[in-house]
Amino acid sequence: MKKNHYIFKLTAIALAFIGMPILLYFQGDFPKRDVLMDTLSLVTILGFTLLLSQFFSTRLNKNLVKKIRMINVLNIHKFIGYLFISILLLHPFFIIIPKFFDNGVTPSDAFIKIITTFSSTGVILGLIAYTAMLVLLITSFFRFKIHLKYKTWRNLHGYLTLLFVITATWHVINIGRHSNISFSIYYLLMVTSGIYYLLKTYLFKTSKK
Amino acid sequence: MKKKEEKQQMSRRKFITLAGGAAASLAAMSAIGMPLNWTENNPEIDVNSLDVNKISTDVLVIGSGMAGLFAAVKAHDAGANVLMVSKGRLGASGQTPFAKGIFAFDPEKEDITLDEYVDKVSYSALGTNNKTYTRQTAEHSLARVNELKEWGFFDSSLYNKSFSKPIKQRNIPIQERITITHLIKENERVVGAAGFSIDEQKVIFYEAKSVILCTGAGGFKPNGFPICDLTHDGTIMAYNIGAKVTGKEWNDGHPAKSENAAACYDGWGDMFEQKPSTTSVGIRHDLGVDMNYTAYMNGGTAKMGPPGMGRSENTVKGGPFRPEGLEDQGGPGGPPQGDKEGRRPPRKEGKGAPPGMGGSIVGGSTAGMAIHKSEGLVPINDKCESNIPGLYAAGDALGSYMAGAIYTQIGSSLAGSAVQGGVAGEAAAKYSKKIAPNKISASKLKEIQEEILAPLKREAGYSPAWVTQTLQGIMIPNFIIYIKKENLLKAALAYVEELRDHHLPMLKAANMHELRLAHETKNMIISAEMKLKASIMRTESRCSHYRLDYPEIDNENWQAWLNIFKDEGGTMQFEKQPFNTWPTA
Amino acid sequence: MAIKSINGCIGCEECIKSCPTDVLRLNPESKKAEILYPEDCQICHLCRMYCPVDAITISPEKTIPVIVSWG
Repeated sequence: MKKNHYIFKLTAIALAFIGMPILLYFQGDFPKRDVLMDTLSLVTILGFTLLLSQFFSTRLNKNLVKKIRMINVLNIHKFIGYLFISILLLHPFFIIIPKFFDNGVTPSDAFIKIITTFSSTGVILGLIAYTAMLVLLITSFFRFKIHLKYKTWRNLHGYLTLLFVITATWHVINIGRHSNISFSIYYLLMVTSGIYYLLKTYLFKTSKK
Repeated sequence: MKKKEEKQQMSRRKFITLAGGAAASLAAMSAIGMPLNWTENNPEIDVNSLDVNKISTDVLVIGSGMAGLFAAVKAHDAGANVLMVSKGRLGASGQTPFAKGIFAFDPEKEDITLDEYVDKVSYSALGTNNKTYTRQTAEHSLARVNELKEWGFFDSSLYNKSFSKPIKQRNIPIQERITITHLIKENERVVGAAGFSIDEQKVIFYEAKSVILCTGAGGFKPNGFPICDLTHDGTIMAYNIGAKVTGKEWNDGHPAKSENAAACYDGWGDMFEQKPSTTSVGIRHDLGVDMNYTAYMNGGTAKMGPPGMGRSENTVKGGPFRPEGLEDQGGPGGPPQGDKEGRRPPRKEGKGAPPGMGGSIVGGSTAGMAIHKSEGLVPINDKCESNIPGLYAAGDALGSYMAGAIYTQIGSSLAGSAVQGGVAGEAAAKYSKKIAPNKISASKLKEIQEEILAPLKREAGYSPAWVTQTLQGIMIPNFIIYIKKENLLKAALAYVEELRDHHLPMLKAANMHELRLAHETKNMIISAEMKLKASIMRTESRCSHYRLDYPEIDNENWQAWLNIFKDEGGTMQFEKQPFNTWPTA
Repeated sequence: MAIKSINGCIGCEECIKSCPTDVLRLNPESKKAEILYPEDCQICHLCRMYCPVDAITISPEKTIPVIVSWG
């Protein structure tokens, strides 16, 4: 019974963060490209939505912790984090892959053009989010080497996450190739509930225990 | 309901007496609920608050394709201050971005000498080529190609980057997305140009000691060939200030695929994605109106089988004369089949010619355009100079007859533009050294500004899009500009003169995009008039000009080019200029 | 018809500058390229080829405007 319950919980998370984006991806009226590029697009979208799911796979999720033990929650959190941050770190490079297969703009010129288009809010936000994400990755990976108190580290982790999530979501909605109204609403819903979840614990952690 | 209508009728009658018939029909329209703003012009910008800029330079290069590039570079290197203006973008407007083959005559590698090459071209061109320019292109082609190589031209299918390199190195200022509408002449020489910026919404005057037109060729915005931004702007601007222009009777006979005929990218397979490459000597007699003739005689679309075209099953009696030894129409395949336009290297079979594609093709994809370099300003010497002091032209804007009135050498079009750009650049720089700075008079400025902005100020008028569509309907049919006969040419001329006299002065524009279209449409109408009149006048068939009523070559009367110019009274005049002579003043 | 859609535009303006027939413009609010005059598209694909993020979709089809007596 208990076991069933947490499977149900995990399924709900999977549905919300994997099923939903896949559904929206195929529902949307997006121009098709070749299989490679479409796959990479979907992987990038899932990379982002699964990072959003991280809000719910932490020790904040007391119910989940109770059901499947902290160590497992932590493992899920770490696994998703490292894997999908890596994917998102690569996504600017996914974009220029077609440039390797034609004779026009070189991949490096295309890449430089992308990251220097400062007139674009989306690009600026992307650069901030990218940096935040990179710092998140490093400070998590070397968590025990940087000698921070757990509380400080967790605050750092939380606030960086906040910065990342806000800029990244805005970035995605602003210049995502697969950004439409449904995706935007979905992202906003997920992010607000996630942030609410996070802030509830960070700001009012005394209220509940 | 009925009562109401009667009331309207009453007021209508009253209205007629007050305001005349036209307004009355408007009132009637309003009574039946029709919107009344159909011919009304609703400018999206405030015409009266538009900025006016004035810029001075020694040499003004108009156009940023292959000819413009070398004109700017060589004029700069010859010590002149240069400014380049472009309707589009450096290396990305006109036909240059789609030209993938460039001829390089390497004396070390070729079996024939320069003299033999020139003779062979003349043989194929039936005497229509200007030997001086044929030779000049071949002679300097390798040097230009080597410069292009250095700039990275052959490394990418897109040319903006490689073209930008020498321009940036030399700090040559360049203004893009500027539509030049006027050349300005004072005291019998060119003193500058004027136009408007699409992005900054302003009128710009350029004071220059000399102007080089690198404005390319043009057409009637036909479907299936990337020339919808080319409307013979340079030719018409120059004609308007008294320059002689030539070559309007010739045609370029490119076809398009019948399926999605407007999709020029798809029609050319993957050619637009290819990097450019060089071509060597190979004399042909290609892409005149043979296909048009076949289609005219056989009816409808001509059947063409890849990779070549115009094979045996298409043979029809008569038609354009082909010199002996140059019958073969085969050669580089791919759609549109048998492209001999002289700008593409042989390419692999495959993606370009999908099964079934070999089926049918349609004509007129380049309607309004002549063989490259057979139309444009008449050069008075080998320096690309026009009869207006200070005004030069290069590339497709110059009627140099480098290849003659038929395509004779693959890749020579692009090479010719590069070579002539260089020649014109140096000549213009030299000329500008001995000339005092020019001032454009205030009255001229005002007059031209009015002309430029007129379509924006019109309260009602015809949309450029509609006039263009109408012009296309008149000009593009095979039986008008390709398979010509006097009565139909005259019939078409009557239509075109109507557009010229009644519609051209009433073109309207609501924004800068439409303003550009309005000026382009104007140029197309004048071009159409030139084409028809020149075609009527040339009572013979030769190369890419074919008259059904005069199917033979007439060497007695027509060993001559046909020049067009505007006389003092503003009417269109014609003169013959014997082959291989320079014009008389 | 002709140029169809732009997805994932970063607003670098490469396509706008490269379009020979002025089909595209930068939307002043969104700071992204938009297809403003598709009727003038000559289907040459320069915009797509210059786009660094492969954002432009073009179809080979093009319809011509209806024939009317004035316009």
